[in-house]
Amino acid sequence: MDNKMRDELLNLFRSKINRAMRYYLETCTRCGVCTEACHVYNSMGQTKYIAAYRHEIVRRLYKKYFKARGKIWPGFGEAKGLSDMTLEELFDAAYSCTGCRRCMVFCPFGIDTQMLMSIAKLMLIGANAEPEILTMLADTSIEKGKSLELFKESFLTGIKNLESEVVEKWKIEAGETAIPVDVEDADLLYVALAGAHSIIPAAVVFNAAREKWTLSFFEAVNFGAFVGDPTRTKLIMDRIIAEAKRLKVKEVCICECGTAYRVMKQLSGKQPFKVSSITEVQAGYIREGRIKLDKTKFTDTITYHDPCQIARNGGVIDEPRYILDNLTDNFRDLTPEPKYNWCCGGGGGLVALGDETLDFRMKSARVKVDQVKATEAKILATACENCHTQLSNLNDHYKMDVAVRFLSSMVADALLPQ
Amino acid sequence: MQTVYYIVLVPMVYVAFAVFFLGTAIRIVKILREPKNPSTLQIFPEKQPNWLYALSDTFFFPTVRRHKPVLWVFLMTFHVALLFLIIGHVELFQEFKIFQIIPHEVFLGKGFVGLILAITLLFFLFRRFKSPTKELSVPEDYFLLILLFLIVIFGSQMDWARRWYEYGELTVEDYQVYLNSLLYLKPELPYNVTFTGHSFMLVLHVFFANLFLMFFPFSQLMHSFLALPMNKLRRG
Ligand code: SF4
Ligand code: SF4
Repeated sequence: MDNKMRDELLNLFRSKINRAMRYYLETCTRCGVCTEACHVYNSMGQTKYIAAYRHEIVRRLYKKYFKARGKIWPGFGEAKGLSDMTLEELFDAAYSCTGCRRCMVFCPFGIDTQMLMSIAKLMLIGANAEPEILTMLADTSIEKGKSLELFKESFLTGIKNLESEVVEKWKIEAGETAIPVDVEDADLLYVALAGAHSIIPAAVVFNAAREKWTLSFFEAVNFGAFVGDPTRTKLIMDRIIAEAKRLKVKEVCICECGTAYRVMKQLSGKQPFKVSSITEVQAGYIREGRIKLDKTKFTDTITYHDPCQIARNGGVIDEPRYILDNLTDNFRDLTPEPKYNWCCGGGGGLVALGDETLDFRMKSARVKVDQVKATEAKILATACENCHTQLSNLNDHYKMDVAVRFLSSMVADALLPQ
Repeated sequence: MQTVYYIVLVPMVYVAFAVFFLGTAIRIVKILREPKNPSTLQIFPEKQPNWLYALSDTFFFPTVRRHKPVLWVFLMTFHVALLFLIIGHVELFQEFKIFQIIPHEVFLGKGFVGLILAITLLFFLFRRFKSPTKELSVPEDYFLLILLFLIVIFGSQMDWARRWYEYGELTVEDYQVYLNSLLYLKPELPYNVTFTGHSFMLVLHVFFANLFLMFFPFSQLMHSFLALPMNKLRRG
C-alpha cells in the first residue's frame, strides 16, 4: 500500500471519530466479558470472532496513528501500521459481524461493536475492497431517487397488477384504490420493499383499517447502511424524506426491514412526520379496534424472532407480542429475553451478499437454530426481510421443520370481516 | 543512594501528579470537544430513570455479574478495596472526621485491604494467561496489572510491618510530615522516611505509583472516567 492510499484511508478513519467513537476506542479493558456474546463465536468457537478481538483490529490502527503512544511505544498496546494485510483483517472482522449489538449488552462499558466496525467498513470502501455488489445496489437506489420519472411508469404498471390480489383478500368500496400511490395529504406513507410479499399483505391491512395511506415509490432497504457508507446511507434515506414532505404525510411507516427502520427512525432527525414500523402500526390498529383478528386461523405453536435492528436496537419489543397475543393462544417466546436474543446471523449485509456468504451464515448461526428448536414451535414469525431470508435458509439447512412467516402477512391472513 | 531516594520522593512525585492531572484533563476535554454521534446509541428495552441505571451500570457492573459471576466478585472486591486505600491515603495527610464514623487507625481494614487487593490483582493477572482472554490481551494489560501489584505489595508491606510485626520506626506521623510538606510545596524528608530499614519499600512504592500515574491518562485506565458517559449512551 502506498503512502497516498494510506493517508486517504486514515482520513476516512478520522472522519468516523466523534465523541462516542473516542469512548469506544479508548476504553476497552480486554476483560473478555463479551466473549460469549457473539453468535458467531458461540457457533464457531474461533477467537477472532470475539467482539473485543474485532475491536482490537481497528483499535491497533487508532493507537498507531491517532495517539502519541503509538509512536513512542507501539509495542505497549500492540499498535500496528496499516498494510494490505490489515485490510484483509478488517474485512474479516467487519463482514463476519452482523452489527446485532448483542455484545454491547454484555460489555460493562457498553462498547458498540457495530460502530467500531463501521470504521472498518468505511476504510474498505476507500480501498475498493468492500463487497462491490452492496455499493452497486446502493448506487442503484440513489439513481432511482434522482431520475424518478424514468422508473415511474413501470413501477405504476407493476403496482396495478398487484391490486386484484389485494382486493381478493379484502373488498374495498367502489371508487377506492387498492394500492394508492402518490396521494398528497395522505396520513401515512408506506415504504415497502420491492416484491409483492412486502406490498400485498400490508395493503390489505391498511385497507381493512381504513387508513388514508399511500405507497412510496422507493423501496425501504438501505444498502448504504449495509456497506457502511454514511454518504450513501443518507442519500438513500433522503429520497424518502423528500417524498414524505412532498406528500405532507403525518407518518412514515417502514415495512419489515430492520436496517431501513432503524436508519429512518434514528438518523432522519427532526421531521414533520413520525417514523413507525409496520409492526407498531398494525399493533395500533388492533388496540384501537380498527381491525380484528381470528384466533383460530393459526393453530400451531408460534414463536417470534426479534430482528436486532428493530428490537434491541430500535425498541419495538412489546408491539409484536401484543399482535401475537391477539393472533394466537399458542405463543411461546424465545429465551433468553429480547435484549439477549440471538441474531439470526444474516444482518450487516450478509444476506444481501447471497450465496457468497451462505456457508458462513449457516455455520455462524447454529445457536439461533438451537434457540428456536427449544421452543418446539411450528411457526417462526419475524418482522424483517433479512431475518426472514436467513431463517428460511437455516430452516432448510438444519431441517428445522418450521414455517417461517412474516408477522404482517399473518395479520393479513387472520383478518376478520368487521 | 540518598539522591535517588530524593528524586523519587520529591521531583518525580510532582512530575507524576502534573502528568496525571494535566494529561487526564486535556484528554477528557479533547474527547468532549468531538461532536456528538448523530443518532442514539441506546439499547432497548429502556428503563427509567435511565441516568439511575447508567449509574448502577457504572458502579455495580450488573452485566458482569450476570455473565461472569466469579470475575464480578473479584472486580467488586478490587474496586471497593481500592476506594478504601484511597481514603487511607487521604488520611495520611490529616485526619478527617467523616472517615472516622467507623473509628479506625489510619488505613481501614487492619492491613487486610491491601492483602485482598493483591489477591484480586493476581486473579486478574492469571486469568489473562488463559484462553480466550489471553488472545485478547495486549502487553499494556499485563504491564498495568503488574505495576499495580508492585505498588500494592510495597505499600501494604509498610502497613503490615507496623501492624503485624510491630515494626515501629516508620510511623504514620512520619508520612504525614512528608506528604504535607509535598502538598504545601515545601518538600521535607524526615530522617525516618529515608534512613530506616523500610525506607526502600516506601521509595519503591512511590516509584511505581509515580509510573502508574504517568501512564494513567494514556491507557485504558481512562475507563474510570469514561465508564459513566458510556453507560449513559447505552441507557439513552
Ligand atoms: S466486555 Fe467490553 S471492555 Fe470487556 S473486552 Fe469486551 S468490549 Fe472490551
Ligand atoms: S455486533 Fe453481534 S455479530 Fe458483531 S461482534 Fe457483537 S455480537 Fe458479534
